[in-house]
Amino acid sequence: MARKTPVSPKKPPAAEEVPFWRRNRRELTFLILFAVLLGAGFSLISLNWVNDHAIEPLTAGIARTSGAVLNLLGQKVTMAGTVIRSPRFAVNIRNGCNGVEAMLIFLAAVLAFPASWKSRLAGLGLGIIAIQVVNLIRVVVLFLTGVYFPKIFDTSHTVIWQTIVILFGVMLWIFWANRFAAPPAEPAA
Amino acid sequence: MAATKAAPIARPSWALRLVRNALLWMVPVALLWLLVTPVYNRFLLGSAENLVRLTEYPSVTDLLRKDNHFAYISRRDFPPATSLVHSFRVTDVHFHLIMLGVLFLAVPAVPWRRRLENLGWAFLITIFFDIFRIFFYVKFTYATQLGPWSAAHYGAFSRNFWGLTYHVLDLAFKFALPFLLWVGFYYQDLTAEMQPARG
Repeated sequence: MARKTPVSPKKPPAAEEVPFWRRNRRELTFLILFAVLLGAGFSLISLNWVNDHAIEPLTAGIARTSGAVLNLLGQKVTMAGTVIRSPRFAVNIRNGCNGVEAMLIFLAAVLAFPASWKSRLAGLGLGIIAIQVVNLIRVVVLFLTGVYFPKIFDTSHTVIWQTIVILFGVMLWIFWANRFAAPPAEPAA
Repeated sequence: MAATKAAPIARPSWALRLVRNALLWMVPVALLWLLVTPVYNRFLLGSAENLVRLTEYPSVTDLLRKDNHFAYISRRDFPPATSLVHSFRVTDVHFHLIMLGVLFLAVPAVPWRRRLENLGWAFLITIFFDIFRIFFYVKFTYATQLGPWSAAHYGAFSRNFWGLTYHVLDLAFKFALPFLLWVGFYYQDLTAEMQPARG
């Protein structure tokens, strides 16, 4: 029995015939841009000038706000720079505890993703505020952990809360990308 | 009798299902990680020690386990009293595995087989990353943390190179790696499920 084979002048190439780069162009562009922006962001905050004029004041602001919340909770703390102190416990908020890492990951991901500048700026504004709110909760809870459950402070400080804050930033980005960033335009045929 | 038509049940969006799944997976993944941590720490120390020794002649570095979580960097060419040059928490190197597990297991609308396959590949890449991170930590310690010995053996460029590389690996890519891998494996699922932009 003769079989009819469709004649197509421009047969689309099979997926395996398309080079890897072209097949995964969008993912690779995002990943490279993200890695470059993230590396640049972290290199920038490692400069002494940036650390002294931007990161330290931000961290001191986080310490003051956390201290105010702890005082509202009856902890009777005093603040000096990035240190929060009470008669029972004291913490010094350093890089890694100020939410800057989660902010930079979120910022790099939002900027690297194809979206309009309007949704990027809205995402960045709301996202950074949300990350700092979660970070504020982290500092307050960690201080209370240090006061009442000092044995689990170390694990809570590194493993639990760092995971929660970074995961929150990632989830926020996925939510933003899925709901608020414009779908990518189809490539021209 | 009028026929009643059941209203269609609104299904939560893909992103919301992912967030819900992530919350559900968090505790089981963290418990599993806690369980395998002592074994994984031993494996990491052994592998990183071999990697460090590949880059030094004669081989003088030992990575000695202190307990289930901590380890010492030891140099055999130092006097016995000062041979334990530094200690570090090995567990801190790899707690990003919790994030990796949660992110990869939480993706909705993906068959289990593909989910586990992707998680396996991502885990393999992360193991290599963790070994390299300890390697960089040892080099960073030698270059910047041993005072006059560091100054005598490492120039300004080397000290900056090992310092910056460790800083970027420790803070930036340790936290971003699970996300980078997730995007690598699930970018198409994310964009396929994208909803029309708002605003």
